[in-house]
Amino acid sequence: MSRLATDTLAAVALRLAKMLLQAAAIVVLVFLLVRVVPGDTVDVLAAQGDLTEAQQQAMRHELGLDRSAGAQLVAWSAAALSGDFGQSIRFHRPVADMLATALPTTLTFASLSFAVGIVIAFTIAIAAVTSGTGKAVALVDAVNIWSIAFPTFCVGVLGILIVSVWLGWLPVLGSMVLPVVIIGIDNAGQIVKPLHEELREATAAAHVRTARAKGLHPIRVVVVHLLPTALPIALTLSGLVLAGLVAGTLTMEVLFGLPGIGSLLLNAIHGRDYPVVQAAIAVIVVALVAINAATDILHRLIDPRVSA
Amino acid sequence: MSLALSSAPLREKRAGRWPVAVLAAGATVVAIVAMAAIAPLVAPYDPLDQDLLALNQAPDAAHWLGTDHIGRDVLSRLLVGTRTTLTIGFGGAAVALAIGGGLGLVALALGRLTETLLFGAVDLIRAIPPILLALLLVVALGAGAGPVAIALGLSYAPFFAYVARAAWHREMAQDYVTAARTFGGGPLHVLRLHVLPNLAGALITQAAIVLPRCIVTESVLSFLGLGSSPDAPTWGRMVADASRTIEIAPHAIVAPVIAIVVLTTSLSVIGDDLRRRFDPLRHARATPPEVEP
Repeated sequence: MSRLATDTLAAVALRLAKMLLQAAAIVVLVFLLVRVVPGDTVDVLAAQGDLTEAQQQAMRHELGLDRSAGAQLVAWSAAALSGDFGQSIRFHRPVADMLATALPTTLTFASLSFAVGIVIAFTIAIAAVTSGTGKAVALVDAVNIWSIAFPTFCVGVLGILIVSVWLGWLPVLGSMVLPVVIIGIDNAGQIVKPLHEELREATAAAHVRTARAKGLHPIRVVVVHLLPTALPIALTLSGLVLAGLVAGTLTMEVLFGLPGIGSLLLNAIHGRDYPVVQAAIAVIVVALVAINAATDILHRLIDPRVSA
Repeated sequence: MSLALSSAPLREKRAGRWPVAVLAAGATVVAIVAMAAIAPLVAPYDPLDQDLLALNQAPDAAHWLGTDHIGRDVLSRLLVGTRTTLTIGFGGAAVALAIGGGLGLVALALGRLTETLLFGAVDLIRAIPPILLALLLVVALGAGAGPVAIALGLSYAPFFAYVARAAWHREMAQDYVTAARTFGGGPLHVLRLHVLPNLAGALITQAAIVLPRCIVTESVLSFLGLGSSPDAPTWGRMVADASRTIEIAPHAIVAPVIAIVVLTTSLSVIGDDLRRRFDPLRHARATPPEVEP
């Protein structure tokens, strides 16, 4: 094996190890934080109906809540690794089932928003570097300022007001179209500026100038020469969009009544359904950590200069 | 004029002037802060008073911005809500500055091992987006202005820790620091005399950048029903309340949304300008670009 291949392999292994460590640390943190909340599962149940002290104790013993925090954490993690996240207090259903029901909505919503964001950002940035007019560049700034100035939940509320109430294009609730567009534009605004900078630098490179000078078709210049150069930065930026995507998914699911992980989590928090809270946050965070690791590794594979 | 100065980018030459946008943003923020200060005096009604005979009323002479779904005066809630929103936002940024900047500097001053440990932990926590971390902390700490400010502070503290680290290492490479250490200056001496004065600008700039994010995140938390207590109106909670009656009382939602957008935009404009002006780290790109919630 060549030197480069061994190095790459080692780097990938190291990154995967870091990912596992991160996921484990965060799951422990989530577990401890949710446990800090005054009142446990049994307290919540006792508040709902009459439970004698003895019944409460028996229930605590049955659920393992009378064991130490460490023992509970180990038991919970072991069960979670095999896909068992315990029972929901409110719905008396396996949490894993509830997650499985909610996950497709969130995955669809997040990936659609992400795709829309990437398409908008690339279209505008490429138009800005190729057209040479100020209009496209102004659009880069406009989309960027839009995402800074307008928090997505505000845009969502105004969107409902305009599209549903004033224009009467019902039904908005339960439909993904409006929230996907809103989060897509927001995502685009967050990455379009650095993307534009990167593409502009790439346009100034000697090989691109040569390609243009010898009369290569502008679209070919973009596809063959510009996009490959912009790929690593695009990857980095997409990783950064994730955080915004999480916030956007949470608020949009609640606002537009989409039955995804975000709605599940919020309902669980309000209903003090701690097993669901814990599992939902753990799933979100582990997914984020894994996606971050995947982008880092891809970045490394695409761009051998990356040493991290 | 030195060669270095004349070859500086155009942006640097204009650094002395305050652009109109920044002045306007500053005036807006001052006006909003003033409004928060005098809110209880000028608010026409008690923000919690329900007038059940005047639900969802459109703006008129009695209620300039109308009433909400349980007959509370929107203008009064907006004015008093300014206070809560600003307090929690500023509080969150201050806590973040104190914890992130403070812990970061202490760990750096104590040496390599503490630096590695602290920033290792910070790197772990950073994998959770601020909004999700704040949400988790609010669940753990409970509702109310104090817990929310602490949750925001902890969530945004990493931003300041990174700035502190970048500034620390930059200062440590300076000749005058080397000289001070050669003459026997300990880490605390160097920290107090050389690092802190040069770091203040960077930290304040970072605070200006984090402040609007704290306000947006607080609004999102309030909107999700996880913000401060119900008897302290915030703009985010007003949006949440009004979103349920959006068909019959759209006015109740437009007012807080405009307030949030105007405040966060003004603060962002100021933060951005401060960064261009004062942040000595701007060329080094000390912190990776972050995303808004």
